[in-house]
Amino acid sequence: MRKIFSIALNTFREALREKLLFIVLIFTGILLLSTYVLSPLSVGTARNKVITDVGLACISLLGVLTAIMVGSTLVYKEVDKKAILMVLSRPVSRHGYLIGKYAGITAALFLMMILMTGILAVMIELGQGHITPAVLLAIYLSGLETMVLCAIVIFFSTFTTPVLTSFFSLCLFIAGSLSGDLRAFASRFGGALMKYVMDVLYYLLPNLKVFNLRHEAVHQLRFSSADLGTATLYALVYTGVILYFAYMVFRKREFS
Amino acid sequence: MDILRIEGIKKSFKNDISFERKEILHGVSFFARKGEILGFLGPNGAGKTTTIKIILGLMRPDEGTVSIFGRSSRERSLKARIGYLPENPYFYPHLNLREFLTFCGNLSGMRGKVLDRKVAATISLVDLEASHKQRLKSFSKGMLQRAGLAQAILHDPDLLILDEPFSGLDPLGRKIIRDILLGLRRRGKTIFFSSHILPDMEALCNRACLIRSGKVVKNIGLDEIFRLGEGKVEVVARGFEKEIFEMMRDLIDKVEMNGEEFFLSVSKQEYVRAVVQHIYNSGGEILRVVNQHPSLEDIFMNEISGTGGEGEDSRRVEEKEFSGSGRGKS
Repeated sequence: MRKIFSIALNTFREALREKLLFIVLIFTGILLLSTYVLSPLSVGTARNKVITDVGLACISLLGVLTAIMVGSTLVYKEVDKKAILMVLSRPVSRHGYLIGKYAGITAALFLMMILMTGILAVMIELGQGHITPAVLLAIYLSGLETMVLCAIVIFFSTFTTPVLTSFFSLCLFIAGSLSGDLRAFASRFGGALMKYVMDVLYYLLPNLKVFNLRHEAVHQLRFSSADLGTATLYALVYTGVILYFAYMVFRKREFS
Repeated sequence: MDILRIEGIKKSFKNDISFERKEILHGVSFFARKGEILGFLGPNGAGKTTTIKIILGLMRPDEGTVSIFGRSSRERSLKARIGYLPENPYFYPHLNLREFLTFCGNLSGMRGKVLDRKVAATISLVDLEASHKQRLKSFSKGMLQRAGLAQAILHDPDLLILDEPFSGLDPLGRKIIRDILLGLRRRGKTIFFSSHILPDMEALCNRACLIRSGKVVKNIGLDEIFRLGEGKVEVVARGFEKEIFEMMRDLIDKVEMNGEEFFLSVSKQEYVRAVVQHIYNSGGEILRVVNQHPSLEDIFMNEISGTGGEGEDSRRVEEKEFSGSGRGKS
């Protein structure tokens, strides 16, 4: 456990020193821009809705993009530069190494999201509003989405290059965000084969829609705690399965 | 008990284009005993690094076994007793040396004040105290090599596996590493290292294992090398009358000349006294008398070129000051 923690801590440090926090600055810039450009177009409390809407979308999107950008080089770089030889020649298991890497990058992304949430809260306060629990829950779900995506990125990075890892992960992210809609579309307009294919894809691909309650949060619509529980459980199970597959690939790897 | 025993290791790789498998190691076997330094010698592409990676479980052999400390190398817990320095090491550039060694110590199961003390002592041992707060990305190649050795010996391993440990080091760095390795051997540690730098290997090793094209072609002790030249002596002298060559015709095999100096290969050990006497009597000066035996380089070159014989133009490894002349030099 201690070894996993050491690898996670090292990865966390590496991510932070790789200017990960620069993303937070970009986020701040986008929020400031939206405050001064978009907010004047709206009236009253709608101003805060604009900031909240832009803020939530940015937290989610920047989380996903950063996970892909940073995560795609994570394992590959260590294998390519042979730093991994020094780690795996010690009494460290391969699954321990992967879990450590995953935990480190996820922790760094969570820190980034927490900082962005803080900045969003300050911006909303400056607009005479308050950050609501619903907004915090929406950010929590974005965190879960990032967590799932990190596992997917780690999976691809165990056997392919950063470019292909980024490409595959982005494709899965898009497909995962649309899988529910595609399935509904197929069941309404498609034939039997199409329905079957979409059913299979729906269960194979990550259903990232369960992590998107941003619209409900911005417009203060109700959502049930059961949804949150399901989303949390789904994220944990899906992450676990993907990391297991990553380990199955990684344990057979040879480091030439 | 052998600390390291490799038996019949075969390894092939698949060509990415033709998908044909090419065998790189053809049944490599050797062993290392406790407290010895075993050199692993071979030209580029001979299979040294592949063998080392198989020992460490970073690659799987197609056939053959690796046992370490008398147990299967697959046991992960054994790795706590092994130190490894990869060839051209790349370490985390965002860490400074102290952070890096602490990280390595944690991975080897060390922690707390014991680890802190060990980190400080190891930094001092590899002479990098002045740079311990510097990030590794600013380290020179030689400094990285020393940092690499530091991480390999940090946890006081019983078996040290070093892949080209002298690569990129200046003379001072080489001396530091040589002294550390000799110190470890004195403490009963077993060291297995590959190198291209033959004088270093000759100065350090008890035995050398020569590998060519994935096959071990020679496994030789350094004391055996010295014995290979027993009975052959070279006398180096100057300032004598050339006519004495006629008198020494039956005593010497060959004469070479370099400037004023003559190199006389004496055919038998017992003729040395007579040769020296002839030179003195004709007013010559004995510069040195040398026991001739092939160097590790001679053996390496012969094995690599495939002749496998003893070097013809062997030069001296061990020189003896000529006693009695008072004018000789060593």
